[in-house]
Amino acid sequence: MGSQTSRKNMDWTKILSPVVIILIAVLFTSVLMGIVGGNPLEAYFCMLVGAFGSGSAVINTINKMVPIAFAGFAVALSSKAGVFNIGIEGQLVFGALGSALAGIYLTGLPAVLHIPICILSGMVFGMVYAVIPSALYVKKGTSLLVLHIMMNNIASLLITYFVMGVFPGENRMIAATDPIQPTAELPYLITSPNKLTIGILIAILAGILLWLYINKTTDGFEFRACGGNAQAALFSGIRVKRYQFLALLASGALAGLAGSIEVLGTYHRLYDGFSPGYGFDGIPIAMLAGGNPFGVMIGAFLFGALRVGSLNMQLKAGIPTEIISVIQGIMITLIAASYIIRFAISKATKRQRGERT
Amino acid sequence: MSQTVVINMLISILRLSVPVIITGLGNMFSVRAGVMNLAAEGMMISGAFCAVLGSFYTGNPWLGVLCGILGGLVIGMIHSMICVEFGGNQNVSGLGLNMLAAGLTAFFCRTLFGSAFSPAVESIQTTNILSGIPVVGTILSQFSPIFYLMILIFIACCFLVDKTVLGLRMNAVGFNPQMVETAGVNVWKLKHMSVIICGALAGLSGAYLSIGQLNTYMDNMTMGKGMLAVIAVQMGRQHPRRIVWIALIFGFFDALQLQLQINNVGIAPELIQTIPYVVGIIALAMDTSKRTAPRLMAPYLKNRYKF
Repeated sequence: MGSQTSRKNMDWTKILSPVVIILIAVLFTSVLMGIVGGNPLEAYFCMLVGAFGSGSAVINTINKMVPIAFAGFAVALSSKAGVFNIGIEGQLVFGALGSALAGIYLTGLPAVLHIPICILSGMVFGMVYAVIPSALYVKKGTSLLVLHIMMNNIASLLITYFVMGVFPGENRMIAATDPIQPTAELPYLITSPNKLTIGILIAILAGILLWLYINKTTDGFEFRACGGNAQAALFSGIRVKRYQFLALLASGALAGLAGSIEVLGTYHRLYDGFSPGYGFDGIPIAMLAGGNPFGVMIGAFLFGALRVGSLNMQLKAGIPTEIISVIQGIMITLIAASYIIRFAISKATKRQRGERT
Repeated sequence: MSQTVVINMLISILRLSVPVIITGLGNMFSVRAGVMNLAAEGMMISGAFCAVLGSFYTGNPWLGVLCGILGGLVIGMIHSMICVEFGGNQNVSGLGLNMLAAGLTAFFCRTLFGSAFSPAVESIQTTNILSGIPVVGTILSQFSPIFYLMILIFIACCFLVDKTVLGLRMNAVGFNPQMVETAGVNVWKLKHMSVIICGALAGLSGAYLSIGQLNTYMDNMTMGKGMLAVIAVQMGRQHPRRIVWIALIFGFFDALQLQLQINNVGIAPELIQTIPYVVGIIALAMDTSKRTAPRLMAPYLKNRYKF
């Protein structure tokens, strides 16, 4: 009986702590807006209008949600195996490069063939970019976080080099490559209030497949075992290092997919600096969702709304869009402190129960 | 002719190594006390911005430096509250604080100054007192006073680490907190102190970046220097002298990168700019100092915070 109640208690704290974290983050941002002389309520209203005010705005939000969802999947997948991939931003831009190259330079293919090849090329590029840090981590135990942060810095410089120096477009006025072939563009689902590509379907499909893989297959079980207790997994004969290496590579491929969909569906060419930090959006989302793909999708929708709405907020309420990275930062910081938040919640609920009986 | 080139290169190396050295020395305390500090980058950017703010509003660069130190110290305090007091995840906290500090500075820079960089403020780029010294005076006066402060800090760190009981205890706390507690020393006080010193020093190095080397703040002006400091501490096995040597090597590649860009050798500037990061990754790959690192991952919880 006692153990049952305590387990129930734990479940409560698990559900409550993301809610508490989001509430604190919102509160903190409101105070910040107040400090710089803005009206938080007005700012949030502008944000909501910008994200959901019209059919076209909603479609915009969904479009922004796609790359963020893939970035979230990438973090979720790696964290299930007990490794933490924060090099998504770098892998994402390399994935975009891979897709753009396949989209520009492969000609004469039918769309049915061309699109999958471009997507595959993006995934391979993202995966290849993840090889060096993953191998160093698995072989030598080097800090993955430091490696990934360095790799992100390198990627943002290299992509400028590739776009400006190696594959510059005809139009030198914009920092971008040539447009991809029409056969490589993702087909549209809807075009009337705003353009919505099949990217969202790919994201939903990927989420379902990921959930099935993690929860319903033997491989997925061993995967989770590596993340749950690496030592126990090792002693029960699971090759932990191998799974972690594969998880990091698969995570890189998912990140590459995010960049790929952006190029093939949204921009139709590779812009320098096209990603406003989708890779970093994925981190708090995956952590708050506890690695659950469906939770990631909800989080990605919210962050997509945040990204779209914040533009309107900057325009109407004068709050700079940099507030997004403040929100991300405060969320991740609070996630780091989630132990004490769970502790406080459990103590509060215990006290309440004590008073009742 | 070639002599002046060499001297200029040496000056450039020394000037560019300063941020990595100061942050590295700060990080050393944190790592010795068993708290991994990935928030160095955030502490530096916070220090850089606060230094410019202080200098902008008071017109006195020295008060700016003080504000910079405070800016880094605040981030250090948050980090130590999460990691030491509340047993949080050190890596995640560092990552979050990096993003939070970068976001907050960018946010306030835009709301206060209306753009991604601040206006020019009073700075301390040269030490004019030293220009009176014959022969070497012109060279010595080219360094910021913070450079000389760094030398003092380095000597103090060496002394503290090798010659004092406090230094010994700080080291012991990282390896075996339980043992230190049994010996009757307040583990948490030591850990908090180490992380907060680290924040203050990283804030100082941020102040050097903004008002010691330049006279303005820009978004993302730390450019991975905090991470290089983290690597320098790991490779230098938490000893001041070795950390300084590694930081000087990073400084050499940074200076090389700058020289190559100025002389326009026909390689794209973006490729040249990757040199410090690539060197950092190669350094990490070559690093074999796993045995001597303190137990960084295990938080040491107070009894009252246990379930």
